[in-house]
Amino acid sequence: MTAEPFLRLDGVSKRYPGVVVLHEASLEAYRGEAVALMGANGAGKSTLMNVLGGLATKESGAIFIDGQPVSLRSPRDAAANGVAFVHQELSLLPTMTVAENVHADEFPVRGGLLAPEIMRRRTTELLARLGSKLPTDIRVENLSAGDRQIVEIARALRRRPRIIIFDEPTSSLTGRETTRLFEVIAGLKRDRAAIIYITHFIDEIFAICERVTVMRNGRTVASAATGSVTFRDVVHLMLGETDNIVRLGKTTAGDAADDGGDVVLQVRGLSRANVLKNVDLTLRTGEIVGLWGLLGSGRTELLRALIALDAIDQGELCWRRNGELLSVTPRELRRFVGFVTEDRRGDGLFLPLSVETNIALPSLSALTNRLHLIARKKLTRLVHSMMERLRIKASGPKQPVGTLSGGNQQKVVLARWLATNPRLLFLDEPTRGLDVSAKTEILKLAVEFALAGGTILIISSALEDLMRVSDRYLVISRGAIVAQLPGAATADELKLAVSDDSSRSELSL
Amino acid sequence: MNTVKSGLSASAVLSRYGFPIVLASVFVFFSVATRSFLTLANLDDMAHDMSPLIVISAAEAFVVMSGKLDISVGSIAFLSAALASLAMRDYGVDPIAALLIALATGGLLGAVNGAIVVALRVNALIATLGTMIMFRGVGLELTDAGLVPLPEKVRLLGNLSIGPLFVDIVVAAVVLFTLDVVHRRTRFGRQIMAVGNSEAVASDLGIPVRSVIFRNFVLCGALAALGGVLTTLQVGAVTAYLGSGLEFNAVAVVVVGGISLFGGRGNLLYSVTLGALTFETIRTGLNYYGANPYSYRLVGGAVIFIAMYADALKRGRFGQNRNVLVRE
Repeated sequence: MTAEPFLRLDGVSKRYPGVVVLHEASLEAYRGEAVALMGANGAGKSTLMNVLGGLATKESGAIFIDGQPVSLRSPRDAAANGVAFVHQELSLLPTMTVAENVHADEFPVRGGLLAPEIMRRRTTELLARLGSKLPTDIRVENLSAGDRQIVEIARALRRRPRIIIFDEPTSSLTGRETTRLFEVIAGLKRDRAAIIYITHFIDEIFAICERVTVMRNGRTVASAATGSVTFRDVVHLMLGETDNIVRLGKTTAGDAADDGGDVVLQVRGLSRANVLKNVDLTLRTGEIVGLWGLLGSGRTELLRALIALDAIDQGELCWRRNGELLSVTPRELRRFVGFVTEDRRGDGLFLPLSVETNIALPSLSALTNRLHLIARKKLTRLVHSMMERLRIKASGPKQPVGTLSGGNQQKVVLARWLATNPRLLFLDEPTRGLDVSAKTEILKLAVEFALAGGTILIISSALEDLMRVSDRYLVISRGAIVAQLPGAATADELKLAVSDDSSRSELSL
Repeated sequence: MNTVKSGLSASAVLSRYGFPIVLASVFVFFSVATRSFLTLANLDDMAHDMSPLIVISAAEAFVVMSGKLDISVGSIAFLSAALASLAMRDYGVDPIAALLIALATGGLLGAVNGAIVVALRVNALIATLGTMIMFRGVGLELTDAGLVPLPEKVRLLGNLSIGPLFVDIVVAAVVLFTLDVVHRRTRFGRQIMAVGNSEAVASDLGIPVRSVIFRNFVLCGALAALGGVLTTLQVGAVTAYLGSGLEFNAVAVVVVGGISLFGGRGNLLYSVTLGALTFETIRTGLNYYGANPYSYRLVGGAVIFIAMYADALKRGRFGQNRNVLVRE
């Protein structure tokens, strides 16, 4: 055991307007070892790594490398201090060659002209270290995802970094590419680099990491040797304590899957290559179904595929219309479904536009007069009624949505879909980034919707939020529905369901 | 190549080399159908005609490859050439100094474009649309919208030739080859491609994105001025119409040659030569063929659509490839 950590992040805090994203977070890494940085969606691990990579500034706290305090204000500072960041979204230049990409941050020049032979030689050496024999003059756009990752790592290694951050490197890799990446990481550890490894595949950390640090809500909640914890411990630490969960309201749907209201949507054998495997599900009127799975389990992808935001390879959908279950395509289904997306600021709202415009947009065709022009009065009436019903706090319907609080922004998204009178709502992380009271309000609105006969399929990384509203659960893992649990399921049962060995047997391929 | 899959490979060959093949066929057609198209004198004339367009298109190609657009090049050519001519006429400045005045003016006007795009973060198309109108306005004011003839001695330079080649052909060739080396073999050239791929990624990598874009506009302005000087020498005077419409010809040359308007893609030497030759061939050929002079615009427009369609087909295939790779 090494005595002194090579890298130490101590009491790092950061806030974005209105949200604390890091609260006294800490992390230690040792030479020749890999530390896994784990946490649920929004736990703050990416922000902490951005601070280390010089991409975000901390408000307080200190960073020590080799015992010396360092200041990392830009990616250049970080590189100068031996920190390399292999990003999840690769920062490659597709139309340029492998050698050019490896050297893009510092093209070697001799006598005013580029020195292609130096670039070629260095690239070949770096690739050889990674066990790759890629041609150096091929364009990156012609490479597979795994080879692109190799190019990205080669660039990170060029400056001989002492600390290497891998941010979810396996999320787009095949089994064989993952194996090769693990070999590369093992080699880097032999070369005495300190590795920080972020992943949402928990089993990977037992394969390549010596230690694990878990974050939750911007805080570091635990650090331990991987040998002394189990898969289940990690899940528990990531999700936190979930005591005293009080269910909100009571929906009319019963607990058992085959009781309750009429079937509104029936899905059989929905598949999408490498993402979704043979998914069956049935949704009934008046029920809230929790789609429970960890990040990367395919939960968001399932919602997207159901309404043709992503193409599907196979699958049959039936939708209740005029009292009968009739076959529909995902594209047709989209017209009946409201989708509250995970990223409300990016995908869900037009931030500079007014509350009114944001709410009315999908309903405009119903708000026209005889000349097919928009009827102001109808529009105002609709917007007012929605703002009242959802208790949206704004100075008025003309206030730009970007200036509202997070909770009110989320209500605007909900209002928009409720205004279209959907029979089915998809809620993807509807409570993310909201304070406690805003969370409760959003969840209450969901229950109200179900009580009025609507159906909801809800995703949340915050188990306690999911448990406050769900009538039953579908457990998703690696793109397949692996279990169904009744609404009475306890937090422990739910955690166990996603820690189940059967759900991750395929990883060892 | 492969005879077994001749259907497939023929279509692959067509989509890759389709445009040069079409150009070659058109070239052969005019050579056969008209008597004087394929003569040394005509080819020399064509090259002479093309020279200013080649210089300006090469400059435009640099801007396009960085993902931007400069449609003020025609006005820069006009204003720079006008200033140089006025300096010679009204102040008796000698021709070399006048040339330097023109180039410096072009660089300065390019710097204005660059500053608007980089510092004020205005979309390049809109920024240069504004300066296109402004620069021409200033030039028209200075020249009174009239003719500024070159001094007699200077006018003779327009017909100067080195061996059988007009001097402007040599200038255009030097510019084209130099820029090609800059593009492929210098840090600046590669940084332009990196910026054209993605400004965000380039910036994350520590490439000075704003500086690269700014210098690119300055270079483009100076070369546009050089193009204006060449045109002036050919005509013997600066006219109020000098360079008007040139910006669109330059953009047309660039895209027909296969340089993507999205940036980050293209081969300078090949594309500019091919693009300029295409338009010149059609124009001269139709002329010799005795076609209606207005038909050139119709055919030229059609050529742009064909080139863009070929480009879209190619991109479509690449796009699919990319998806397949990601999903593997």
